[in-house]
Parts: sequence; structure tokens; C-alpha cells
Amino acid sequence: MTKRFEYLFREVTSGLRRNGLVAFAAVSTTFIALLLFGLALLISRQVNLMIDATTGNVQVAVYLTDPVNPQTVAALTQKLQDLPAVADVTYESKADACKKFQAEFASQPALVQGVSCDPAKNPLPASLRVKLANPELFGQIKAVLEGQPGIDRIVDNRALLDRLFAVTRVFRVGVLLVSMVMLIAAAILIANTVRMGLFARRKEIGIMKLVGATNWRIRLPFLVEGLFESLIGAGLAILFLFGLKVAFINPLYGTIRFMPWVTNHDVIAVVPWLLVAGAAVALLAGLAGMRRFLDV
Amino acid sequence: MISVQHVTKIYKNGVVALDDVSVEVDKGEFVFIVGASGSGKSTFIRLLLKEEEATKGDIFVAGKNIGKLTAWKVPHLRRNIGTVFQDFKLLSDKTVFDNVAFALEVIGKPKHVIDQRVPEILDLVGLGEKLNSYPDELSGGEQQRVSIARACVNRPRVLLADEPTGNLDPSTSVDIMRLLDKVNRIGTTVVMATHDQAIVDAMRRRVIEVDAGKVIRDQSRGVYS
Repeated sequence: MTKRFEYLFREVTSGLRRNGLVAFAAVSTTFIALLLFGLALLISRQVNLMIDATTGNVQVAVYLTDPVNPQTVAALTQKLQDLPAVADVTYESKADACKKFQAEFASQPALVQGVSCDPAKNPLPASLRVKLANPELFGQIKAVLEGQPGIDRIVDNRALLDRLFAVTRVFRVGVLLVSMVMLIAAAILIANTVRMGLFARRKEIGIMKLVGATNWRIRLPFLVEGLFESLIGAGLAILFLFGLKVAFINPLYGTIRFMPWVTNHDVIAVVPWLLVAGAAVALLAGLAGMRRFLDV
Repeated sequence: MISVQHVTKIYKNGVVALDDVSVEVDKGEFVFIVGASGSGKSTFIRLLLKEEEATKGDIFVAGKNIGKLTAWKVPHLRRNIGTVFQDFKLLSDKTVFDNVAFALEVIGKPKHVIDQRVPEILDLVGLGEKLNSYPDELSGGEQQRVSIARACVNRPRVLLADEPTGNLDPSTSVDIMRLLDKVNRIGTTVVMATHDQAIVDAMRRRVIEVDAGKVIRDQSRGVYS
């Protein structure tokens, strides 16, 4: 068995040395392809995190006119709670709104000073915070509340979120497409290294066939060579993904309240996908590259 | 050992290389296949190796019908057949030892077998002192000895030689023939395609003459023409 690995190792390394330039091209294309593939996966993950975080507490804000009539609040709350689209309704008084404002902008004293929580001067409106069971059914809420007394305006955050998701979706699909194209390019390059390797060694292969080496004995070193190249590319792509995450995502931690970001754990989760994609591309390319060449 | 029965080989381009050829070769025989270039000698050799398929007829080697052999069994057929060519087919970046060892290595023989058999066979062909030379450092005759060593190191039952003396001067050719004779006396069946008249006449072995794809003479202890 060790003899076998020794032989394989020798054949593979000599193969890599022989066509270094094409091997380099194959490695770097695989690297870029898998990097993009990994990016696409992480972007999907990020978008999912954002969707979870936002749809988890999509709040439609129903701002109430001053002064607030407790009976109106009770009536509106009851109306909303009767709707199947509504999961939860909470009342945020003027005082609550003011405290929340002060907490959110604690880092900006100028803003806080401009707003007084004195009931007589408090400029912030009271509101009903509506959590939706099904964000698609916002229309129902609007229909029920329209024309009711005591309502200043209804603010729907979904339009903004929809646009955000549309943009990220386009971005994600774009990256995925580019990574597919790159993967195909990588496959072609790997097929080429395999083919060049076979051509450079056609004399040896001829002798191997004559003395009765099995086809797999002949093919395996070339397949392993292609696999090796693509796995180096995958390894580099993984390192790079971690690097990108540390450089660009880590500084964002905590910058936007309630906004989750991809973590190291998410990056680790895409690693097996990159390895599988790299290996699959290499094996398919290798087999395609050596077809024809090795007919008995 | 070899039985060729009514074999016809027509190449894709329509050339009829062999036309209803039947030949029996017994175990331990030494047979010359003679004929002009293009007479079908090489096709005969290639058919025995299953490098080409017969268009019609059956070929048995060591009792097996090689026409019915599946592709993945072909390597095992070839392990029973040693081959020697006019152009030696040695790997110039490997030493004499490694060239011969290569034949065992690629069929998965363990190292201790290789270390034992390779020097043994190189001694037999008279190159015991040149294990570490490279092919370029050897004469043509010596290179052909290496290729014979490689063909025989796995102890094949049949040795096929296609013009083994084609690139050698007459006296070196005689040495190579002595070596092939020695290999034959060990018990290997030898089939040699050649158009070297002097050698055939000197050896006085069975001669099969082909012309335009047909066997026109089969004579034990024969001469070239």
C-alpha cells in the first residue's frame, strides 16, 4: 500500500512540475471561481439572516394623534388583534417613545437635548406597534384602520425591506452566475492540464499499456493531479473568504442595531460546499480531459 | 500457445492487412514471420496484443479467446506477453534499472520483487554492470537488451518481437538473436517479425511468410525465401 502511494505521489508531483504554468492557471481559476461561489453562499446567508431578523419583528407603526384618547387606543388595539394577519400589538406611549429615542441616540447629546420628555413638551407621538404574522397581508391592516379617528399615519417598513431584498437578490444571483462561469473555465483549464500531462507522457503511457498496466493505474495520477490543483484553489478560496470576512464584516459588528451579520461559523459552513464543488469540477474535468486519449 | 483461426483484418480505410490467416504456434516454439513491408507482419503482432481487433476470425493466446476479452481484462492479457520493438521504446529520463523496474511497478509488483527480479534479468541479458546508466549512454545493441529485459522481467509466456534488429548492425543483430534464442530456451514462446534475411537463414527456425495479407509459406527449419 505504501508503495502504491509512493508511486502516486511521485507521478503527481512530477506532473505538477512539468506543466507548471497551466497548473498555475488552473489553480488560480479554481481559486477565483470558488471564492465567488463562497461569496454567493455567504451573501445568501447574510440575506437570510436579515430576512429572519426583520420579518421576525416587522413592525407596522400606527402613529396616533395628540392628545391620545385611551378609549381609542383600546378600540384600535382590539380591531387589530382581531385580524389574522396580526401577531401582536403593543402600545407605545409618548413617554415610552421619548425614552427609547433618548436611549437610541445616547451617543448624540445634541439630539437628546433637543427633545424634552416633559409631558407638556414631548414632541414624540404615541403609537401602536404591530407585529405581523404574515407580512404579505399588510393591506388588511391598512383597510381596517383607514378612516378611523385618532390615527395620524400608518408607516409601513416593508417597501424599504422589499427593495433591499431585491437588490441583494440581484447581487447574489449575479455573483453565483459569475462563479459558475469561472467554475466552467476552471474545469476547462484542469481538463487541459490533464490533457497536456497525458500528451507529455504519451511514450510512458504507451509502455505502461504494453506491459499490462490497468487503465485506472494509468489514469489515477492524472486525476489526482487535477484534484490536487482544484483543492489548492479551494484552500486558497477558503482562506480568502475568512480574510474578507474579518476585513469587511467584523468592523460592521454592532454598527446597526438589531442587524445580524455572518459569523465565522457561517464561513465554516460553506467550506464543505467549496471542497465538494472543487473536487467535483476536478474529477469531471479530469475524466473529460482523458477521454479519447486512453482508449485501449 | 497461439492459435490464429481464419483471421481477416480490414482497416477502416479499406486496406486488407490480413486475409483469412490461420497459424498455430506451440508452447516453446520460435517462429519468424517474414515478408516485405506492408505485407501484414505488424498487423499480426498488433492483433495478438489486442491493439487492433480482428475483423473476422478468432485468436487464442494462452488458451483465451482474445476477441471475447473485455476491455478491462486486456491488461492481464498483456502481462502474459512481452514485446520488443525496433525503436526500443525506452524512457530516456530513467536509468536502465528504472526502465526495467517500471514494467513491474506499473502492474503493482511490490518493491522486494522488483529489487530481486530486475538485477537478475539484467544479468541474464548481459547488462548487470550497467544498472545505473541512462539509455543515451548505451549502444543500440545494449538498448535493445534493456528492452528485452523489460519485456521478460514479468516472465511472460510469449515474447513478440517486431523487427528487433531493424536498427542494429549485423554483428549486433547476431548478439540480439543469441539473446532471443536464450530467452526461447528458458521456455518462452517467441514470435519475431523481421525482414532480416541473414538472421532468418542463420537461425534455421520455423518461418511463416506473409505476402499481401496471406500466408504463402509455413516451413519448419526454414530460410528467408
